[in-house]
Amino acid sequence: MDRNVCIIAGGMSKWGVRNGSQRDFFQEAAKACYEDNLQVNPKEIDGLLVASAYTERTSYQTHLAPLVAEHIGVKPKSICARVELLCASGSSAIILAFGLIKAGQADVVMVMGGEKLYTPQKWEVFYSELASVDHDWDGPQGLGLPPPVFAMVAKQHMKQYGTTKEQLGAISVKNRRNAALNPKAQFQQGITKDEYMNARPIVQPLSLFDCCPITDGAAGVILCAEEKAKQLTDKPLVYLRGTGQASVNNMSANMPSWTTWEALKIAGQEAYRKAKIEPKDVKVAMTHDCFTISEIIEMEDLGFCKKGEGGPFVGEGQNDLGGKVPTNTDGGLLGCGHPFGGTGIRQAIEVMKQLRGDATQQVKGADIGLTHNLSGFIAAHTVLVYGREPV
Amino acid sequence: MTTPGISVLDGKYMVTMDLFPQQSKEFNQVYAFYENLKQGRFTTTKCADCGAESFPPRVMCPECFSTNMQWIDWPNEGTVIEFTEEVVGVPLGFGKAPLVHALVDLQGKKTMFVRVINCAEGQLKVGDKVRVAVFDVDPVPQEVKGGIQEIPRVFYAFEPVT
Repeated sequence: MDRNVCIIAGGMSKWGVRNGSQRDFFQEAAKACYEDNLQVNPKEIDGLLVASAYTERTSYQTHLAPLVAEHIGVKPKSICARVELLCASGSSAIILAFGLIKAGQADVVMVMGGEKLYTPQKWEVFYSELASVDHDWDGPQGLGLPPPVFAMVAKQHMKQYGTTKEQLGAISVKNRRNAALNPKAQFQQGITKDEYMNARPIVQPLSLFDCCPITDGAAGVILCAEEKAKQLTDKPLVYLRGTGQASVNNMSANMPSWTTWEALKIAGQEAYRKAKIEPKDVKVAMTHDCFTISEIIEMEDLGFCKKGEGGPFVGEGQNDLGGKVPTNTDGGLLGCGHPFGGTGIRQAIEVMKQLRGDATQQVKGADIGLTHNLSGFIAAHTVLVYGREPV
Repeated sequence: MTTPGISVLDGKYMVTMDLFPQQSKEFNQVYAFYENLKQGRFTTTKCADCGAESFPPRVMCPECFSTNMQWIDWPNEGTVIEFTEEVVGVPLGFGKAPLVHALVDLQGKKTMFVRVINCAEGQLKVGDKVRVAVFDVDPVPQEVKGGIQEIPRVFYAFEPVT
């Protein structure tokens, strides 16, 4: 058995600095997901995967999936488990749901992701981040929080390829502008080029608007086999076509290159091969803009432009609306925020809407869409390709 | 040690809140790294079968899967390829801003992204020599035969060679 798999519903809670607990946000997200497609009876959902990275640390809760199932009114029978790959937890869970449905081990799977990151004392989440890199070796160097890592990436990319601060700014201004049109996004106001250039430094060359924030929130999608999808939605079908996930190192000392992300190239090529497409076929992309420099390197290593030309590519608006590959049309991490487990799900929702044709900022003729996450100390990359047609 | 808000934890040690690794032989099979570090030696494991030198140190060779590991000394001095100075958001436990990091070429063995201490803001330059600097960190109050024994610990950063 090898079935086609569709994404038929998606919704998210409001993201930001939120009042409430992790389980509250999962219920809000489930409600939004159910409302996106009233033809799906939640009682028909036979599998649940829940993506959350910090549930043990900031909510003191393991064995999360049955708790979420109980709260969202789902009674899974094919799969009920949590998935964790930090910033790529949500996308990892989608890949697993895809595989299970494709193989006939599950029929209708809900994939949720989210976090409660703000605790009664704010230092705790930053301290917990020491667990997200190699705790014994990179953490004690004070590398838990990612800005120094991405500042190092940016400094080297600037030195090697001539990338400029203004080009980094193009990403920030674009994604904040897009977020302002997304009521679920953490930031509801855009920023100007001047505000970007004059923001307070964090780690040079990165300043405040180069960095995504800490975010509470959750999101959910429903995937199912094509035959089921035809019964469960009247909207255009959106297929998951191919995926790739790669890791070539974990600790910083083993990074093959800081400016060419080998694992991203591998994950991208794997996803393109399985989806039977080429980079030029991608009409809309949600790539992991945890920092502005990330989105620039992602344009290069996903093959949307030549290596080293990511700076001019984004500076000329080639990854903005009207360009070659509009990217982060919903605001990305820089605008929506980044509740780790929720991010991959949020990206899937926006790509689903773009391919259905009902996105807020619709890309005309979008028939192939891509999502990407990096995770940890740039230690793994995850790429998913969706399409209006099956492979 | 008190834990406000959680009275039952007063006087307790929590491994899940410890930013440094466990270094005693009961909790870490590469404890020799820290024993060597206490003597100022920067060491790692070399596979006695295929010769691969891995970092961090290993129990099993990731190249040939042998468990025949030996400890070897690595250079404790390297050259700054590039550096960063974190002025906002320095995590708890790493002192006052700026927190300086450098990508260090360890004489061709590895490029290490490490904290640089004993270094003023604006002091470090590309091409500078830096060396391993060992410092004491909080001991772990470990249960030993019903009692609590303080296990001393160290860690390393780099510092400018002056």
